[in-house]
Amino acid sequence: MGELVDIQLKRGVLELCVLALLAQNDNYAYEIAARLGDAIDMGEGTIYPLMRRMQTEGLVETYLVESPAGPSRKYYRLTEPGRQALATQRDAWTTFAAAVDLILGARK
Amino acid sequence: MTRQEFMAQLGQGLKGAPPQTAAEILADYESHFAEAGAAGRSEDEVAAALGEPARLARELRAQIGLKRWDERRTPSAAVGAVLAIVGLGALDIMILAPLVLAFAATLASLMLTAFLLLLVGAFILTVGPSTQPPGGPVTAILIGLGLMGGSVAFGAVTTLLSQGLINVTVWYGRLHLRLLKPAIHPRELRGAEELRA
Repeated sequence: MGELVDIQLKRGVLELCVLALLAQNDNYAYEIAARLGDAIDMGEGTIYPLMRRMQTEGLVETYLVESPAGPSRKYYRLTEPGRQALATQRDAWTTFAAAVDLILGARK
Repeated sequence: MTRQEFMAQLGQGLKGAPPQTAAEILADYESHFAEAGAAGRSEDEVAAALGEPARLARELRAQIGLKRWDERRTPSAAVGAVLAIVGLGALDIMILAPLVLAFAATLASLMLTAFLLLLVGAFILTVGPSTQPPGGPVTAILIGLGLMGGSVAFGAVTTLLSQGLINVTVWYGRLHLRLLKPAIHPRELRGAEELRA
């Protein structure tokens, strides 16, 4: 069941990754999708449902920026609740990852 | 798959969603293709990297359905939310259908009972006093009022139960949506599907 675990793991941390990327700088969806797609091999299409949900939950907001290459781009930026969510999820991830590392290390 | 095929399938899958929302979603994917094209990627490659449009549409529609249920606790929103989750494949309908039907039947019969109690109460209240009942007309009026009040309370509890049931379904669907069924590469998807089978 390696692949299924793989998918679920990525799915769970995708939101955290997007929050972390947006904390560095505002970005547009294509760039986010391309960067995450390269880094953790996610289907790029998944980013759009995720961005919509995060927008509904008030974690991100959008604004339009003129693009040199065609129509204007929709940029996403973190809101204050988004920053808080990032802090919470980062802590949860760090704790979880440390615990798993410890157990994996102990079994060797 | 070409850009046109991808967009057509996505649009097909989004039928039934509010037109403005569907237009926004389609615009998002259109600009994805435009950006990718500017970066020198082929339509075929981009469509493959995006994942299966039908599956993406199901996920988006489930999201829209859940959002509507959050905003408006109406029967039609409830039906929409449950259907969206079922469409997602998150609820195994073959296993759950008998259970859900039994639940729905129980709730419906409870509602019917409440309604009948209300009728009986109204009957006793209006007709009772004129038939010289034991204990006098006042007793008949009180019994009638009591039955009617009880049936209203009963109906309210049943309504709460139904709403709770739908909330649990929605909660489960949302959990599932987040963790289990991503619209990932078709290649990975097949692997996951085989594992489930």
